[in-house]
Amino acid sequence: MKGRTAIAGIGATEFSKESGRSELQLAAEACLAALEDAGLRPDEVDGLVTFTADANSEIAVARELGIPGLRFFSRVDYGGGAACGTVAHAAMAIASGQAEVVVCYRAFNERSGHRFGQANKSGGAANSTGLEFSWHLPYGFATPAAWVAMQAQRYAHDYGATSEDFGRVAVAMRRHAATNPKAWFYERPITLEEHQASRWVVEPLHLLDCCQESDGGVAIVVTSAERARDLARPPVLIEAAAQGSGPNQMMMFSYYSGDIGTLPAMGMVGDQLWQRSGLTPADVQTAILYDHFTPFVLIQLEELGFCARGEAKDFIKDAGIDLDGKLPLNPHGGQLGEAYIHGMNGIAEGVRQVRGSSVNQVPDVHNVLVTAGTGVPTSGLVLSRG
Amino acid sequence: MNFHDDLMALSDKLAAEGESDRWPCPDPVNAAMIRNWTQALGDGHDWGETAPPAMIQVWSMLGLGAAKHSSPADEPLRRFNDNGYTGVVATNCEQVYDRRLRLGEVLRSSMRFGGIVGPKKTALGEGYFVTWYQTWYDEADRRVAEMLFRVLKFQPRVRKPSGGAKSGKYPLPPAINRDTEFYWAGVHEGELRIQKCADCGTLRHPPGPMCQACHSVDRTYVAAAGRGEVYSYVVHHHPPVPGRTPPFVVAVVELPEGVRVVGNVIDCDPAEVRIGMPVELTFQKMDDEVTLPQWRPVGAPAAEPEPEPQEPADALRIKLTPTFVIATALATRDFTPVHHDTELARAQGSKDIFLNILTTMGLVQRYVVERHPEAELAGMKVRLGAPAYAGDTLTLTGVRTDATTLEVRGAVSLGDHVTATVQLRENA
Repeated sequence: MKGRTAIAGIGATEFSKESGRSELQLAAEACLAALEDAGLRPDEVDGLVTFTADANSEIAVARELGIPGLRFFSRVDYGGGAACGTVAHAAMAIASGQAEVVVCYRAFNERSGHRFGQANKSGGAANSTGLEFSWHLPYGFATPAAWVAMQAQRYAHDYGATSEDFGRVAVAMRRHAATNPKAWFYERPITLEEHQASRWVVEPLHLLDCCQESDGGVAIVVTSAERARDLARPPVLIEAAAQGSGPNQMMMFSYYSGDIGTLPAMGMVGDQLWQRSGLTPADVQTAILYDHFTPFVLIQLEELGFCARGEAKDFIKDAGIDLDGKLPLNPHGGQLGEAYIHGMNGIAEGVRQVRGSSVNQVPDVHNVLVTAGTGVPTSGLVLSRG
Repeated sequence: MNFHDDLMALSDKLAAEGESDRWPCPDPVNAAMIRNWTQALGDGHDWGETAPPAMIQVWSMLGLGAAKHSSPADEPLRRFNDNGYTGVVATNCEQVYDRRLRLGEVLRSSMRFGGIVGPKKTALGEGYFVTWYQTWYDEADRRVAEMLFRVLKFQPRVRKPSGGAKSGKYPLPPAINRDTEFYWAGVHEGELRIQKCADCGTLRHPPGPMCQACHSVDRTYVAAAGRGEVYSYVVHHHPPVPGRTPPFVVAVVELPEGVRVVGNVIDCDPAEVRIGMPVELTFQKMDDEVTLPQWRPVGAPAAEPEPEPQEPADALRIKLTPTFVIATALATRDFTPVHHDTELARAQGSKDIFLNILTTMGLVQRYVVERHPEAELAGMKVRLGAPAYAGDTLTLTGVRTDATTLEVRGAVSLGDHVTATVQLRENA
């Protein structure tokens, strides 16, 4: 499958705290923008993929866009872990001849509607997911920040990372967002002191360790590399795509065995991406690492092989993750700085970096690594110049 | 005429009418009602052959479903309800006790209207204060007690639905199925059960239907010894979690049996929790149905929950369980729905059911007589502040400002629920 499929178009709504319109409208607008970017018409689309968590069914989106028929539709589960998985599913469908043009989308009013940062409600069904939550919610252990903080605390204890080490990620993301006009935190950088002074959300996480809550939609058009070469934009090849789920994996509660200062699912994704692409960490010029909470950016650097276990704090300090660093991370500002669109806006930035069209362009980008949600079963992509 | 002018005219008319006829109280002063009352309020004072003074209003309460005696406040209250001022909260209660009542005495009571003041903007919503008086007489038509009573009738603010917490129920119950019910059954019997494969003996938590080691579906369990070590933990501050008061600690605890469990670390300052800290099993009852296995530092004293640092040693702390709120409302023969029916309380603008003022009076008295058993109450002037909702804790503290005066405060998490001036009789 290596290099046989490509991202031909990207589209997004504005990123806001209150979109003022329905989630279906956001999805339709994002998909239409992505198709226009690719130079394709809706009636050329024959596949749609989204998150299990998305409220907009494929058929509803197809109706709005006037897509006459769908040959391929699928959903990818596990929250933000689905992001790169949607592109992986689309690429597989295209490579296997199931479809020709597949649009991946994610759209929500995640700030003005259902907010992920609020405490999860109890009283779910006694299915496998409800039972997983039932070992945790009764203790008031009810927010993604808290679930991540549990791993971050142990990671910090085992490897000597500090809150300031986490804060350096937030500062870099906000610095990038400050020069991205599409970012919510455009022109609003922060200092490490401000990070340290921000209130506790769940110790050891400060408010500024946590990504935003956002309204918006993002869509990605996937087609064959061959067809992409005839379209409006230079093709961005999908060199590798992978999903991963680790041992004794839970939604965000994989605390019950092994070293919880790690993210085995992301390790699996990284191993597959390097193997399938034939690349190594040294071959990517920039990486888009899922940044819902800062500590997991550090652990990802380790799982993906950019540095050894426990050394991410030094990597960030010494090698650097700024635009002029050794590994510029999330040049768009990430979900901490641009918007939280469940990782899909990161894929769009990966595409722009390969195209050479980002507002915070890293020089001479040939390959970009993109990852999806962490702490959950996840996914990743390597995108390359065609 | 508009609502306000109409109301003021009514107020003047009612005030001019003066005292109503005296009607008989339903029951003589009797031991059964007194015992019901003292038990509900937790009042352990020896009242001998007399009634607790703060019980005075109870004698004239007619009871559930009884045909109501007309009160001079009825008409204004009805008008408020008809005009959107459906919320009600008592704000002041001042009682004067002329003498102690003896068992067997038969009382009569009368009312007279005080007045209406408003509209006022209050924290609960715009409203009017309505004041009336009630007087009690003995068989010789001598006054034995008098009370000023004031309520705020207000327009409830529109409240968002509050996330599904049912009345008096712990809002975070676990979902349970046939694979996990052995665990929760164990919790109710005071043990922490770890699933054990009946074939190969492998322990596992959280449990599941098939042994990961040998694929057997035959399961049993062992009871954990009850010791563990904090493997990791967090301190939750934001956002609010229903049923929880931040900051609170959630920990992954590693057991010597070789499994990890998640629970809260309680009876401990969150700042004291460390990775590696030895903890021991305890059980925390969250409501009538949900009990949680929890963890506390090994050897920690069974701490009173969250003692406030500056609180005097003789503070009286009362956990306002729904049972307490409802039992005291009924023991004071107050069947107003806001004291026992959560849905109706919310519909009327309150967060939950809350203590009735007759109980608050009784609790102020309880605070005084527990600390000054020799005291004889001459009267109490009580101002109600924040509502004392079910689920909160009422902490009563006080100072004796002179030989015959005590200032008593009752605080809840929202602030002062009650500030009272208690007058004692001299030479008592």
